Amino acid sequence: MSDTSTHRKAVRLEATNHEGSLLGKNVSPAKFEAGKDSGFAFADILFAIDLNNEIVLGDVFPDWRGNLFDIQMVPDMATMVEWKPGLDSVIGDYWLKDGTPVPICPRNLVRKLVARLADHGYGATVAVEIEATLFEEPVQEARARGYRDLTPLGGSTGATYHLARSNDWVAYMEAVVDRLDQVGITWEAWTDEAAPGQTELNLAPTDPVQLGDSWARTRQVMREVAHELGHTVSFMAKPTAGFGQGAHINISLRSDGVNRFYAEDGPSELMRHAVGGLLATMEGNTSIAFPQITSYRRLVDLTGPPTTVSWGVNNKTAAVRAITGHPTYSRLEYRLPGADVNPYLALAGVLAGVLAGIERRIEPPQEVTDMAWCLPESCGVRRIPDTMSKAGAALDADPLLREYLGDEFVDFWVASRRWEWMEFHTKGGDPFAELSAWESQRYFEFP
Amino acid sequence: MTETTTLPARVGAVDPASLEDDATPLVRLIGRALRASVRDDHVPDAFDLLSGTVAVRSHDTPQTATIRFDRGTAAVSSGVLGQPDATLVVDLHARFAPTEEPSGDAALASAALTVLQPPPPPWREAAAQFWETARVVKGIPDVLVVQAHGPDGPQHGRFGEGTTTYGIAGPADLLAGVFSGADDFLVALAAGLQVRGTLSQLSVMTAASWKVRFDV
Repeated sequence: MSDTSTHRKAVRLEATNHEGSLLGKNVSPAKFEAGKDSGFAFADILFAIDLNNEIVLGDVFPDWRGNLFDIQMVPDMATMVEWKPGLDSVIGDYWLKDGTPVPICPRNLVRKLVARLADHGYGATVAVEIEATLFEEPVQEARARGYRDLTPLGGSTGATYHLARSNDWVAYMEAVVDRLDQVGITWEAWTDEAAPGQTELNLAPTDPVQLGDSWARTRQVMREVAHELGHTVSFMAKPTAGFGQGAHINISLRSDGVNRFYAEDGPSELMRHAVGGLLATMEGNTSIAFPQITSYRRLVDLTGPPTTVSWGVNNKTAAVRAITGHPTYSRLEYRLPGADVNPYLALAGVLAGVLAGIERRIEPPQEVTDMAWCLPESCGVRRIPDTMSKAGAALDADPLLREYLGDEFVDFWVASRRWEWMEFHTKGGDPFAELSAWESQRYFEFP
Repeated sequence: MTETTTLPARVGAVDPASLEDDATPLVRLIGRALRASVRDDHVPDAFDLLSGTVAVRSHDTPQTATIRFDRGTAAVSSGVLGQPDATLVVDLHARFAPTEEPSGDAALASAALTVLQPPPPPWREAAAQFWETARVVKGIPDVLVVQAHGPDGPQHGRFGEGTTTYGIAGPADLLAGVFSGADDFLVALAAGLQVRGTLSQLSVMTAASWKVRFDV
């Protein structure tokens, strides 16, 4: 990465809003040079527009918001890359004019929690498994069809690890990883996933802020490559009424170069406390990890996503899988988020849970060694909230997440989900459909 | 069961409407209407005589709900399962006005429509109650200033005390509908209701209007 590139014609400023959409604008090189230290003005409304471009109402604005005030997006020059010939790209954070970070800016939240973790002497190493579904049709045709009845790229049969995908699917993924290499995003693997047209792309472990940046940019790359090749890609939680897609986050804590989640005989004490915090905050974090109405349609036992607030060593049916016994690879896999999650908020939610656990030395509930789906109530294992309203109420009432994410963010997020819930129910969504046209229209392309 | 924070049907009385857990906006809206109908004695005894299952369908969205009347109580749930005794297709932005002839048991449908359509109280009474209920909404202004346009010309009202004010003006009946929850605040704005305040205040007024209309 560098702070200059040759033959630059424009610089694209980038950051996600609350929904996880990568927003920004292209500025001339002269404009960029003039504003790169003081920042670039964006209307505060970017944090209050829903995916249908309606202003989100229903909460009291903090002092920094008003009748469409400006906030400053300050580029993080460490993120500057040449996106393509003539176009540089830089990710920024939102700041207020008094020099304080915008409290609900997703990237700021991650930075804040990384700093708090550093106060304990720990650095988090995180990685993500990005799932997405590819369709043969160009996006213009997908739009014309209301994002329905599209043809999965690579074939409509078989799934998971198949190497027999047709060349169009393979060519797409090869083009994606080529672009990732060009913009400096380190990937580890890609494969066929569980549904027709679906892929999983794994980004390499790194620090949380950089992973958030790479995750958001990888989505952008996957969209741009799809457009270039005349195909369509979706990160919707369920782009069809069939399989859904997730975004598992792997995390370990290190200090002095040593993985502190490792112990010879199972989870270390630190890992155990991290699990305790992640489970204590899981119902509230569901609101963040399942941001859209469709997110909750994934919550079906035996289909892949976790449905219970549970953990287990090497148990992929639980919400948190502990991988133990290896000095390097011992980690927790947080299996809750959907593919539609805001990358930074997902990471912030995980960091908040981990911090809560280690600061309060929260012991986890008993490990689930059985299958964590379909458990009888008598087991005492709670179900993950299965609607947006239930999850929002859980977040609203969660004192831990309020402490670590801040009251301002929690109040804002809960109100924004209430708006989303209201929009769905009163403007055309159908809770009794497998997947309503309202959802396809709203979520297929964004975030 | 979904708990309510808006006005009870009658002080000390058994709640006539029980709503399913995690109720949808339509279920909540029906609950509000039924409670208002009983509270205001809109149709004395009519509610106590109602018995049967009524499906309520929105005329322009997929929203559906089922009301199971049982002589003085009503259980409201989302969706329509099985064959109801009567079906109403209504405009949810016009106080449950039917958009087509009800099907099924005509007498039951007619009685159900009646209890779903309690007239709003006079605008001044509705405004006072609205402002009292809205006190729990974080950031709500101190004072509501109302200008109501009725057949006798403009009338004015001021509710609450303090330094921050919010102004709202419009036809008296529409104001009464918004303040009582019978009408949707944002829809009313699009229809010409006028407000004076900041964007932030509009946001919290929306929350207050949802509290009286949907109990959220």
